[in-house]
Amino acid sequence: MFCGDGIIYLISFLGALSLYLFRNGINNPKTHLSSFLFFLILTIINPLVSHNGVTVLFVINNSPITLEALIYGFFASILIISVLYWFRTFSQIMTSDKLLYIFDRFSPKLALIISMSLRYIPLFGRQIKKINQCVKALGSYNEENVIDKAKLYLKTFSAMVTWTIENGIITAESMDARGYGVGKRSRYSNYFFSFPDVIFILLTFVLFMFSVFLIRNKSFEFYPSFSVSFSDESIIGYVLYGIIAFVPLFIEVKEELKWKYLKLKI
Amino acid sequence: MIVIKNSSLRNVLRIIIPFIIMPLVVLIGAIFLNEKRHLFISLGLVFLSLIFFVSGVEKKNLGTRRLVMVSVMTALCVVGRFIPFFQPITAITVITAIYLGGESGFLVGASSAFLSNFYFGQGPWTPFQMLAWGLVGLIAGHLSNPLLKRKWLLILYGILAGVLYSFIMDVWSTLWYNGSFNFDLYKVSLMTAIPHTAIYSISNFIFLYICADPIGKKLSRIKTKYGI
Repeated sequence: MFCGDGIIYLISFLGALSLYLFRNGINNPKTHLSSFLFFLILTIINPLVSHNGVTVLFVINNSPITLEALIYGFFASILIISVLYWFRTFSQIMTSDKLLYIFDRFSPKLALIISMSLRYIPLFGRQIKKINQCVKALGSYNEENVIDKAKLYLKTFSAMVTWTIENGIITAESMDARGYGVGKRSRYSNYFFSFPDVIFILLTFVLFMFSVFLIRNKSFEFYPSFSVSFSDESIIGYVLYGIIAFVPLFIEVKEELKWKYLKLKI
Repeated sequence: MIVIKNSSLRNVLRIIIPFIIMPLVVLIGAIFLNEKRHLFISLGLVFLSLIFFVSGVEKKNLGTRRLVMVSVMTALCVVGRFIPFFQPITAITVITAIYLGGESGFLVGASSAFLSNFYFGQGPWTPFQMLAWGLVGLIAGHLSNPLLKRKWLLILYGILAGVLYSFIMDVWSTLWYNGSFNFDLYKVSLMTAIPHTAIYSISNFIFLYICADPIGKKLSRIKTKYGI
């Protein structure tokens, strides 16, 4: 729990949800339904475990279920769901080569391991299919029997491991022959860090610090009894935080409009 | 963005992090933040320990062949995670660790957690998963002598590793939900995770029982042939 302020959670949740919906539309209702179920379960768990608070709703097994714990659980699960939505968009936008661009500076060796594995994963997937077809063609295939199926998978896996290890050694030999580790490794990347990016990061940071400063007084009190009190300062803080939360959506909308406009010009 | 390009800074980090920064973070957290802020401190410590380990790897000369073997085994782990219900990551990490050493085990565990989360969802739980799987590999590497000699010890380690992984990850989920560590919540999340833990342990058991010898044979053959 990062700040214990319900309004902040709600703003963040709205920002994350609207960004995700703008990017993906409503064509995957399963994801939303599962996160809603998750939200319900998390909300119910807190009052069952925590018995703080003064307003008792009802009693189960001599342990009181309180309104305050229920409200706390509600806001805690809003936070968790909003983090889930933020990270869904994050993993769509921050693809592996973008992350590698950042990690390459931090640790060249780890970045090399990760980028090599990234190349191997689709290769292995294809090789597994090939081996599977070979095994099928050799006739050792029986879909009815579970044990036979398991044996088939095992055979494929074993052949796969042999092939990958040999392949890896060949790669290593080739790298050695071309002089890996002798000089400095150069790298190619499509991305670069420009001046506007620095300004953007600084601005976001300043906005964040301002909003933290303005909301330093807690306006939410959960225990022993639930109470909310807003001051003028904290409302300005919420507005600033709202700007941070909705900036990604603004950028997406702007790019979309630009794209439409450029398409119209053709 | 953290840039640690030059090696002298890395060496300084290697000394500073465990002896100065980590205790400082814990102290500051204990004094200035109230009990609702355990999550901050634990996330910070997990990040610091990952940085500590990585700067150690950068310093050492791993060798091209070992480096490539690590990335190959990582890719195998990630491909294996697509098998429904069964999770071969722990088993492959343990096997790699006992044959190629604890450092390679840590790298395989941590980077396969990082990589497979590109397919299964990246999140604030990624550093914890990286640390949990990395530790499983590191400990296996240090216990490699007894684990190599007796197979039942290896299988027992696999089962325990499944339980250990679940324990570490439930500390994380409790902290995430509540901010501070609540023992009742921890018990509840352990209880709800029992089926997952059981699947982990059973699949570790099966994979280690079946695959430890064949994969191990292949790895040790490569080891003696190419001198890794």
